Amino acid sequence: MRSIRRKAALAVAALAIGVGMSACTDLLVEPTSTVTSGNVFTDAASYRSFLAKLYAGLAVSGQQGPAGRADIEGIDEGFGQYIRGYWQLQELPTDEAVIGWGDAGLPEMVTNQWSSTNQFIGAMYYRIYFQIALANEFLRETTVEALTPRGHQNIAEIPQYRAEARFLRALSYWHGLDFFGNIPLVTEDFEAGSPPPAQATRGEIFDFIESELLDIRSTLPAVGAAQYGRADQGALSMLLAKLYMNAVVYGNGDRYADARTAVEAVIAGPYSLDPTYHNMFLADNDQSPEFVFAVPFDGQFTQTWGGTTFIAHASVGGAMVPGDYGLDFGWWGLRVPPEVVNLYESGAGGPDGRSAIFYTNGQNLAVTSLGDFSAGLAFPKYQNVTSTGAMGSHPTHTDIDFPMFRLADAYLMYAEAVLRGGGGSSAQALTYVNQIRQRAYGDPSGDITAGQLDLPFVLAERARELIWEGHRRNDLIRYGLFTGGTYLWSWKGNTQTGTSTADTRNLYPIPASELLANPNLTQNPGY
Amino acid sequence: MMLRVRHVLVALAFSALCAAPLAAQTGTISGRTIDATTRQPIGLVAVSVADRTVRSDDQGRFVLTGMPVGTYTIRTTFLGYRPMTVQVTVVANQTATVEVAMDAVAFALDAVVVTSYGNQQQRRDVTGSVKALSEEEFNPGSLVSAEELIQAKVPGVQVYDSGEPGGGISIRIRGGTSITSSNEPLFVVDGMPLAIGGGISAGRNPLNFLNPDDIQSITVLKDAASTAIYGSQGANGVVLIETKAGQRAVGGTGSQLSYSGSVSGSPVLDGPPVLTAEQFRSAVAQYAPSSSSLLGGANTNWRDAILQTGFTQDHNLALAGATPDFDYRLSVGYRAEDGVVRGSSTERATVGLGFRQSFFEDRIRMTANVRGARLDDVFTPGGVVGGATIFQPTEEILDPTSPHGGYFEWYNFALAANNPVAELELTQDRGTTYRSVGDIEGEVQIPGLEGLRGTVRFGYDATKAERETFRPSFLRGEAESGTPGFVSRSNSTQSNLLLDAFAHYDRTFESAGAEMNLTGGYSYLSSNSTFPYLEAQGLSFDLLGTAGIPSAQQQRTSMWVDESRLISFFGRAHFSVADRYLLTLSVRRDGSSKFGPANQWGTFPSAALAWRLSQESFLRDLDALSDLKLRLSWGKNGNQAFANYQQFPSYDIGEATAQYQFGNEFVTTIRPGAADRGIKWEATTSYNVGLDFGFMNDRLTGTLDYYFKKTEDLIFRVPVAAGTFTSNFITTNIGSLENRGFELSLSALLYEGFDEGFSWTADFNAATNSNEIVQINPFGGGEVILTGGIAGGVGNFIQVLQAGQPINSFFVYEHIRDANGKPIWEDVNTDGTIDENDIYVDQNDDGIVNQDDRVPFKSPDPKWTFGHTSRMAYRGFDASFTLRAYLGNHVYNNVASNFGHYRALTYVGVPNNLHASVLDTGFEREQYFSDYYVEDASLLRLDNLTVGYTFSPFRTGQEIRVFGVVQNVLTLTGYSGVDPLAGVNGIDNNLYPRSRTFTAGASVRF
Repeated sequence: MRSIRRKAALAVAALAIGVGMSACTDLLVEPTSTVTSGNVFTDAASYRSFLAKLYAGLAVSGQQGPAGRADIEGIDEGFGQYIRGYWQLQELPTDEAVIGWGDAGLPEMVTNQWSSTNQFIGAMYYRIYFQIALANEFLRETTVEALTPRGHQNIAEIPQYRAEARFLRALSYWHGLDFFGNIPLVTEDFEAGSPPPAQATRGEIFDFIESELLDIRSTLPAVGAAQYGRADQGALSMLLAKLYMNAVVYGNGDRYADARTAVEAVIAGPYSLDPTYHNMFLADNDQSPEFVFAVPFDGQFTQTWGGTTFIAHASVGGAMVPGDYGLDFGWWGLRVPPEVVNLYESGAGGPDGRSAIFYTNGQNLAVTSLGDFSAGLAFPKYQNVTSTGAMGSHPTHTDIDFPMFRLADAYLMYAEAVLRGGGGSSAQALTYVNQIRQRAYGDPSGDITAGQLDLPFVLAERARELIWEGHRRNDLIRYGLFTGGTYLWSWKGNTQTGTSTADTRNLYPIPASELLANPNLTQNPGY
Repeated sequence: MMLRVRHVLVALAFSALCAAPLAAQTGTISGRTIDATTRQPIGLVAVSVADRTVRSDDQGRFVLTGMPVGTYTIRTTFLGYRPMTVQVTVVANQTATVEVAMDAVAFALDAVVVTSYGNQQQRRDVTGSVKALSEEEFNPGSLVSAEELIQAKVPGVQVYDSGEPGGGISIRIRGGTSITSSNEPLFVVDGMPLAIGGGISAGRNPLNFLNPDDIQSITVLKDAASTAIYGSQGANGVVLIETKAGQRAVGGTGSQLSYSGSVSGSPVLDGPPVLTAEQFRSAVAQYAPSSSSLLGGANTNWRDAILQTGFTQDHNLALAGATPDFDYRLSVGYRAEDGVVRGSSTERATVGLGFRQSFFEDRIRMTANVRGARLDDVFTPGGVVGGATIFQPTEEILDPTSPHGGYFEWYNFALAANNPVAELELTQDRGTTYRSVGDIEGEVQIPGLEGLRGTVRFGYDATKAERETFRPSFLRGEAESGTPGFVSRSNSTQSNLLLDAFAHYDRTFESAGAEMNLTGGYSYLSSNSTFPYLEAQGLSFDLLGTAGIPSAQQQRTSMWVDESRLISFFGRAHFSVADRYLLTLSVRRDGSSKFGPANQWGTFPSAALAWRLSQESFLRDLDALSDLKLRLSWGKNGNQAFANYQQFPSYDIGEATAQYQFGNEFVTTIRPGAADRGIKWEATTSYNVGLDFGFMNDRLTGTLDYYFKKTEDLIFRVPVAAGTFTSNFITTNIGSLENRGFELSLSALLYEGFDEGFSWTADFNAATNSNEIVQINPFGGGEVILTGGIAGGVGNFIQVLQAGQPINSFFVYEHIRDANGKPIWEDVNTDGTIDENDIYVDQNDDGIVNQDDRVPFKSPDPKWTFGHTSRMAYRGFDASFTLRAYLGNHVYNNVASNFGHYRALTYVGVPNNLHASVLDTGFEREQYFSDYYVEDASLLRLDNLTVGYTFSPFRTGQEIRVFGVVQNVLTLTGYSGVDPLAGVNGIDNNLYPRSRTFTAGASVRF
């Protein structure tokens, strides 16, 4: 009797558990506050939003603006912004800039003593590959195979979007090639979860960029025809020219003739020199007729702690009144070493109108100390006020767009390519250079003669014209002056008078963390 | 999981088939256990007769049927009482009645331990590493939250307190097992598990909702054998909190009213040493002469301007009663604490109801516990404490000409500190949290199956947390921003629902002298949280404060919904043979919505063996030895305390402020996230060897444990090979770490005399823990991951995660010292400047001192922790104190590193005050990464000192106790900063000012 009751009880218990189980073991809880890869592309507008992110990767540091929901991690978000990183790696180790802050790894950028754990170098590396991975993902999501099931195979803009994605990928590969040398080549064919990619040589990356750019050229809008902020064949030709111009450095032989041809395509475009030099670095510089490709920033809609917000704030300090530059604060950081100040005729405030930008009140010419803002002349080139003197739209986050490629650079590249035996016309080269000089001097008094136009002059003119626009390291390397003892400047090699540095500093180290995450990679020599 | 259920059923069936032996010449023992002094019944007393053990019920009653005729010795043991023995003779077919009056003592090993899911186990039968503390063992004084009650009481458990009223508290049980996930233990309040970390709150410790006065006992489960039944939530230990139940009034039925109240005052202790106005002026004259003109003529002590003596009042009223079938307890509490920073406060009103009813001769029991709380917090605006430390002393607080609310402020110096008094007075930052946690539980004695009880429990945890902040547009930090004026409001809610269904089956095999307890069950826990948020910047006017949002230049709103589900099947079996050999097996199978489809389910088993050596014949005659038990255990736990939805590749939609310009249009962006779809549980395997002992009839008792925990599949945000994901970091299962240590706990009645009028009992505990990261890289390389952000610079980190090193080791340069041990500041290489190359050791000998020369150095975790509590009683008087000592813990003195250099006089344009360490070091520039700032913070602290007097002016049982407590009495340490217990990470950066608290109070029972 008792055992029957027991069995009945057991049966009831078993039944209860069985019923409970089927109802109560469902564990699928999908996110409701975000979109997922499964549903985001049901809206065709998502492709454009995604493309905008590919560009925005150059301008903002995350999805929140100015900070928050960062794109890359392991570094302060503002430090990890693309243009800030690019600018610092191209400018800080050169004669164009010193910075006074003690953030870990920052003084070493100025004194050419960086190591493979340097956070700024690491951030740039990961920024480059963030752009590459985004572009690859975009290309994977916009193949015919991916579009057809969604009914999106006939969206007319997709081919151009894809070409722009490939342009942006090539741009970042060029930065990677220039900074780091041999780096992995990851394309849209790489499958997520595969073993880490192999290291490609500089030559392979070079060839990849070249073939990509040539392949997409006809799909991009004509030179000067793109919407502002987007790439067209003008931007593409500038990138090609940069690649060819440095081909010797990259181990791909003499391509100066190709560089000249590429530059000519830009010069033939609808660009013209901005009548007022300084207008190109003000809050309304999107109006400049000279820009081939600029990264737009906006105080309201494209906010970041990097980009021109960084450059503009960091160049203000000392006796400077932030409000005069459209800013709420100065950050007391950047100054220009005397070696570059003295490249201008009679130094700061001389007849070269470009040297009027230097701020000398309370500043000393010599950089006796990195940490002291008064050591070295201040240089408020980027100012958050418009050409008519109005304040930018936000005193913290600037409206100044960053000129990545502009016509004067093309002119100077033309001259250099001619001088380096790339064909073309010496007379034309002189004309281009003197056009730049005339804008700077306001009249022909600064013109040079054909005899004065040599390679050292072009390098010096590039510094005068393109200072703080992210070209200097690349230029010095091409001239063989970045490392070694031929040319010394303040704080090169960590002494005020300058010390010779090892040639291995022509390449940045691949970040130590990347070597661990990808055992296929070999570190650059010297690190 | 089908398989698992089948196992439980098989076990149940097996046990059911073992028929009970037929009754022979037997009688019955019926008895009652009561408190010898108060004559109140004591429930749950373990009553042992021969080989049988039963527990008395809530009214103290116990019945042993089927006792063979004869004379027996009844032994009773219970938490907080001295074990008693009573002789009784059983006559055939008759009931022998006995009353056991037990003497309360404080030192006895806890007799009954709550271990999980309604399991109450006798301490002597516990096989795992478990420490139970009852009310009388709790820390006394002015305490906000439950964690503080057990500080320094349990070996291997560290409680870190922020020092802020009601501020956040971290607990580490046997070291952290995770890097990315939480290291906080699971709290279970009356069976309701709280979200790891305690749940959401408006900003302070989420556990503040629980009134410490309502807590009956806290049990800490430390080893995996004890915690494995909590599966994926148990990796960091489990803290079981039982609230007080109903109690019969003294001397009869009816109700009992009790009140306790106290007032406390908290004078502030010293802050970080900074220069006096005089020292400051001479430093400016020497190192920043150009700033001399900026100095004023005042001698302001900015810390004094923001601080006050804290004041607290705390009142608790409870009504409790019991009848044979029914008991209840209703309590209300109110507490208001004004912190030592002016304006900061925490206020709490609580109400609690506990209720139990039994039906049908206790065959059905209903229990309900509901508690609710409202917490009002006023926060100290960030930067006020730091600002008051370093704001230079020569300026007056007020400046009648100032547009910033009449407070002195700097102009045109963007990076200059804000006037801390203005920040404090003009900013509003308040939070209000409403929270209710409760459960209702029904337990049924299954008819026809003696020993089988089924329980169904519904639990809930509902929280609503509001936080609002307001900064007027004329406050300096706002006025100088692009969008002056700021108001924000968040309105978070969380609702967790629990369903537990489980069954216990207890069975005694008298012939074999064996006992078996089985538990099997199912648990369903769902969590739903919402986080709406709005803010406005650039306010058009300031008059509305937090109450309204005027038109503003920028507004931002966001909404986030977070949901998760945890489904579990669990079983536990406990066997005891001959009161000597004990075996506990448990298994839990957890399914979590946080993991990808392939890894949703995890199984967490454990096994524990114990051998009561003292019951063996070769030791039984050793009179001095009253207990000796050897324990061995092994178990696995998971950890799932990290963000939801990690397995979904989501697209993040950009905000309006992160758009990109296409022509004349700004385009909102979307960004694909990077997700590892195969993410799975972190798994911690732990081993424990323990020894429990008691001497001289348990006058001296103790436990000794050694544990080893290894955590694998550590979930970690790691760098991935560049270009392989759309992020440089991904959350994935990588790496492992280990924790090991010894724990010793002793309790003794040290002295008893003067006709037993005087007694002195003492508890002592000691523990070691060492942890080591074994691996954090899939390829085994020497990954160096920086962690431990510091103040000073941007993105500077002072700690490191590196294989072979303890978690969060400090990562510093080795500063070269002179003959006196002072860190040098001189131009060693005579290159004209003093920099890293002069003062630090070139660890890799490459001729350059750069970041590659930073090395791991010391750990923030103590190597040894000690706790000691003494209690003395003489007649109505009592006194107690608690001492705590840590050895080998290190703290990074961030206040010194940030302001202990002369460049702080110039680098923001206006001079800041300096940390006094600069007078020793002479550093002219910041040296954030010097090992000089990593200090040994070993300490000895007298945590509290209590005296009390208890008397009964009216009639027996109506007690009044008056008491006085001093907390944070005295600290001996070599650490130069404010508090050597600078939090769990060991970074001291302008901690909330410390204070010493004096409390006077009384408690009354009617």
